[in-house]
Amino acid sequence: MMISVRNLDLTINGKTILNDISLDIQPALWSCLVGPNGAGKTTFLKVLLGSAPYSGSVKSDGVEVFRNHKRNVAFVPQQPQIPQGISVSEYVALGRSKRDGWGNESSQSREFIAKVLEQTNLYGMQRQQISQLSGGEMQRTLIARALAQEPDLILLDEPTSALDLHHQIEVLNNLQFLQKQGVTIISTMHDITLAAMYADRIIVMQEGRVLADGASSEIIHSPELRTAFDNRINVYTLDSGRPVVIARKDEKDEG
Amino acid sequence: MRGEKQEDSAQIQGISPIWNWRTTFICAALLLLVGLLAISFGPIHLHFGEIIKTLLGMHGGLSGQDRTVLIDLRLPRALLAALVGAALATSGAVYQSVFRNPLADPYLLGAASGAGLGATIAITNAHGDVYSLLPIFSFIGGTLAVLTSFFISGKFFAEPQSLLLSGIAVGSFATAIQTYLQQRHSSSLRPVYSWILGELTVANWQIVTWSSIYILISLGVLISISKQLDGLMLSDEESFSLGINPNRLRMIAVAAATLATATAVSASGLIGFVGIVVPHLVRGITHRVTNRNLLTVALAGAAFLVLADLGARTLLSPAELPIGVITAFVGAPFFLVVLRRRRTL
Repeated sequence: MMISVRNLDLTINGKTILNDISLDIQPALWSCLVGPNGAGKTTFLKVLLGSAPYSGSVKSDGVEVFRNHKRNVAFVPQQPQIPQGISVSEYVALGRSKRDGWGNESSQSREFIAKVLEQTNLYGMQRQQISQLSGGEMQRTLIARALAQEPDLILLDEPTSALDLHHQIEVLNNLQFLQKQGVTIISTMHDITLAAMYADRIIVMQEGRVLADGASSEIIHSPELRTAFDNRINVYTLDSGRPVVIARKDEKDEG
Repeated sequence: MRGEKQEDSAQIQGISPIWNWRTTFICAALLLLVGLLAISFGPIHLHFGEIIKTLLGMHGGLSGQDRTVLIDLRLPRALLAALVGAALATSGAVYQSVFRNPLADPYLLGAASGAGLGATIAITNAHGDVYSLLPIFSFIGGTLAVLTSFFISGKFFAEPQSLLLSGIAVGSFATAIQTYLQQRHSSSLRPVYSWILGELTVANWQIVTWSSIYILISLGVLISISKQLDGLMLSDEESFSLGINPNRLRMIAVAAATLATATAVSASGLIGFVGIVVPHLVRGITHRVTNRNLLTVALAGAAFLVLADLGARTLLSPAELPIGVITAFVGAPFFLVVLRRRRTL
């Protein structure tokens, strides 16, 4: 799914949230939005979903996103609604409604749901209530719900923020597997080291603007990334050649 | 391994949340049964066989006074009880899922009190027959009350707790104005008062006809969108990604539920707790929170209120209890149980 954004602006109550963004997103690639809080990353994801009003042009396969109802885009929010009294499998099954129509799961869908539960390590928990899950289990359930949708494009808002290290890697590996099958992935991520490890491309945002945009390996060493975080990060390269981004405690510590 | 595999596939079947129609049929059968009981029992006892023959227009049915009791008194009353019960139970279930709060019901959001105020304004200023216009006035009153609750609570749908609190305040305010109007227009004090207590004694075919129009239309709308309503369990972005416009869906759901509540209130006065007791009972029995059960909730609500009305007519016979007393007697303790068990519901 090719996405092209041209002169995108978004203002809410006189406050500029997104400011003149133009870029293209190629299909089957993983793009990651990084930047400090309030940079407009989540809003940008909502625009790409088609649920936020914007000015300018955001086209997916040549059609403006808010008009393009045929495309199958999944969204994984940072803070989920946690409904009472619904089990993991029922929750994940909601993701099938776009394909099957609301309330008409086919038997193939039920098999697919079982597969997704297995893939996200939730199998065996399907009867558990959503409201009783831990933060990490809930995050995996959210991702399972999105995977059940069999989307062409998946938008994730901080998919790893609630997870321990082990589950972070597991979720990201899952997404990478999907990407290899041709799914386009756009995520926001606070952990820039992980972003550089998994994403093909990093888009650096600050105050609604795109400061830098390019291949992960280049962007991670760029001065714009430091600027976005007010020069409060250090980038080191491990012996294996892998970059690591660490927050700076204080200016004085650096010597 | 093989055994484990088989168990796995049994669990995969267990994944299916497809609505079980058995409960719906049981509720429909229950409604028929309590309906038959309700039109049979009373000061004059009518026999099942003769009732059925009369209703089917067969030879050997009731005649004379018995027939009048059946056709002009008990039948419209039982039908009205069923309609009002279905309306209150279904709108309760819908409010609960739209506001993501298991304790939301038509009364807590101020819809019923607002509807009561609208109807009181109509009765106290009426010249002639206003009964067929009562649902319109009730609807306007109910809608205004719900909208006021929204605006006072600040955010649309976002803060269920503050919404419920403002609903209670708006409801009390509407009730206060209603009482004031009632006292000022002492000539219409009696009809308003007896109507407020919640009663089905006034039921006649005219009231059944107009209330059935409004209630069946709104229930039809709610049941037709019931499957999409499950999408509101997700965040707005997620439901949007599944092809739902969440705000539009909520608007339609709240409007239809408010029309059903308003009609119920204008037909029978304020009958509390049906909207909480019935949806929770259905969810408890079926272990499902899905809105696909709205038809079942409607049937169960109808059966519940027909039964409550039977109790109201016969418990202190020949005197009659207000039906609201019966529903509160069952509902208030139930409400407290739900409140305590809320984490698991």
